[in-house]
Amino acid sequence: MIKFDQVTKRYPGSDEVLKNVSLHIEAGEFVFVTGNSGAGKSTLLKLIAATERPTSGTVLIANQNVSQLKASAIPFLRRRFGLIFQDHKLLYDRNCFENVILPLRINGVPGNEAAKRVRAALDKVGLLHKEKAMPITLSGGEQQRLAIARAVVSRPSILIADEPTGNLDANYAADIMAIFYAFNQVGVTVIMATHDALGMSATQNRVLHLNQGQLMQSSPSITGINQTASNSDVSTS
Amino acid sequence: MNNWLNHQLQAIKLVLSRMHANSLSSSMISLVIGVAMCLPSLFYIGVDNLSKLTDHMQNETEISLFLKLDVSHDTISEIDALLAKKPEIKQYYLVTKDEAWQQLQAKSKSNPDVNDAVNQLGKNPLPDAFFIQAKSVEPDDLASLKTSLQSIPGVEQALLNTEWAKRLSTMISLSKKLIFFIAALLAIVLLVIIGNTVRMQILTQQDEIEVSYLIGATNSFIRTPFLYAGVFYGLFGGLFAVLMILGITLTFNYAIADLSSLYNSDFSLTIFNGSLFLTVVSTAVLIGWLGSYLAVTRAIASVIQLQKNH
Ligand SMILES: Nc1ncnc2c1ncn2[C@@H]1O[C@H](COP(=O)(O)OP(=O)(O)OP(=O)(O)O)[C@@H](O)[C@H]1O
Ligand SMILES: [Mg+2]
Repeated sequence: MIKFDQVTKRYPGSDEVLKNVSLHIEAGEFVFVTGNSGAGKSTLLKLIAATERPTSGTVLIANQNVSQLKASAIPFLRRRFGLIFQDHKLLYDRNCFENVILPLRINGVPGNEAAKRVRAALDKVGLLHKEKAMPITLSGGEQQRLAIARAVVSRPSILIADEPTGNLDANYAADIMAIFYAFNQVGVTVIMATHDALGMSATQNRVLHLNQGQLMQSSPSITGINQTASNSDVSTS
Repeated sequence: MNNWLNHQLQAIKLVLSRMHANSLSSSMISLVIGVAMCLPSLFYIGVDNLSKLTDHMQNETEISLFLKLDVSHDTISEIDALLAKKPEIKQYYLVTKDEAWQQLQAKSKSNPDVNDAVNQLGKNPLPDAFFIQAKSVEPDDLASLKTSLQSIPGVEQALLNTEWAKRLSTMISLSKKLIFFIAALLAIVLLVIIGNTVRMQILTQQDEIEVSYLIGATNSFIRTPFLYAGVFYGLFGGLFAVLMILGITLTFNYAIADLSSLYNSDFSLTIFNGSLFLTVVSTAVLIGWLGSYLAVTRAIASVIQLQKNH
């Protein structure tokens, strides 16, 4: 489903942020991306979501080579993903409902159908009663959940979450992890960057560990990473 | 197709609600467009009506032959006989100084100001005059007829009535060119104003645009609402202009009606000029669209640049 082959990424004027990364993520997997701050976790996720292009190497998403796609095809590739950004990127000039409906507008979902799906998504993250609230009035955890609602409303088959439990206390973090596990349970591929072991320590999920842009072996109990992940395990909880 | 239509409708709804939310600035910009469109249009209406008037006059081929103030009755009959023999002349008639004086006094009765002026003159200052209708309407023929009439003894002045009309019509065609330049300049000003307005809007929507790109919006999805905004500014501005033009020409027509009754004329401005209104509105819409297109193309490029540098 997602395949990196010898991918190197360098931003204009920066050193190599990712070095020779090869990986393979199967449909339905729940994968963690870990590493220190600046290790390249967000960059890896951006390459997967086709919001950045590799400097060299190939990124294949559903058998499409991102580097070779026409600019006009990129938006349609991006719509396969539900993105949860490290900095939320919520729109603070409109209420929760209007925030969540944005991907549906982009996908051209008509009004009534869209409203139904927005409410369903808000319900899933427990924010249905906050439909009319402005994001700025929400707590940190609620804002995270709002960002999740926006990411899942268009029913993507792949969720990409960049530190969704970021600055939250353990209770909130556990809530949010539970939401992701629920999505994974129904077949959604989840790729999540996280700072620390919180929330993932108890799981058997595959961990892609980045160290200064290089992909390291993951912990012994879990599948090797540098070899193609043929025996990758679908998450259990 | 259905999807496309849905997208357009969504964009229109979005734009109208945004304009409603900023109704003050939206009506200001529409007003600016309206006034800017109104100016050359009014100028055009004025010149156009003037040119209709002169076209009408140029078809009259009358030559006025004013005689010297002290000509005798004999001289007048000689000239009369001479005119009767001229083959270029279709018809002519004589208005003697006494007849002209009576006419003037009769006309001035209705207007106290003119009446005062006429009474102060005391004695008749008017000359005897022949009014001559030529057979030909060619300017050259008329000019040579005029010269030959001028040389008749006892004639003070031969006046070709078309001469001033001709001068006027050159001025009119010059004015029309001037209108074109004024209109072009105003169009550029409007492009800048609309472009700037749309650019400001894009800046306030920058976050939305950035997120939309990241989650799969196409260029046209981003661009369409702003293009509609430009189109609506133009549309409302154009309609404003039409209303203003109607109002101003109506007001003018009352004044002109007074004036033209003095001149025994029923001249008035053509009020309803459908093709002019259509031109005004469609030009405004076009300018609105173009202004926002230019702005949106440049601004979006810079937003994408910004997003890359994040
Ligand atoms: N747009 C950019 N231009 C230049 N350098 C960048 C850009 N984005 C990231 N970098 C650099 O790439 C490196 C990796 O950044 P990245 O955001 O991928 O790290 P991260 O692992 O997500 O860190 P964190 O845990 O703090 O979010 C950093 O050194 C960062 O400075
Ligand atoms: Mg990061």
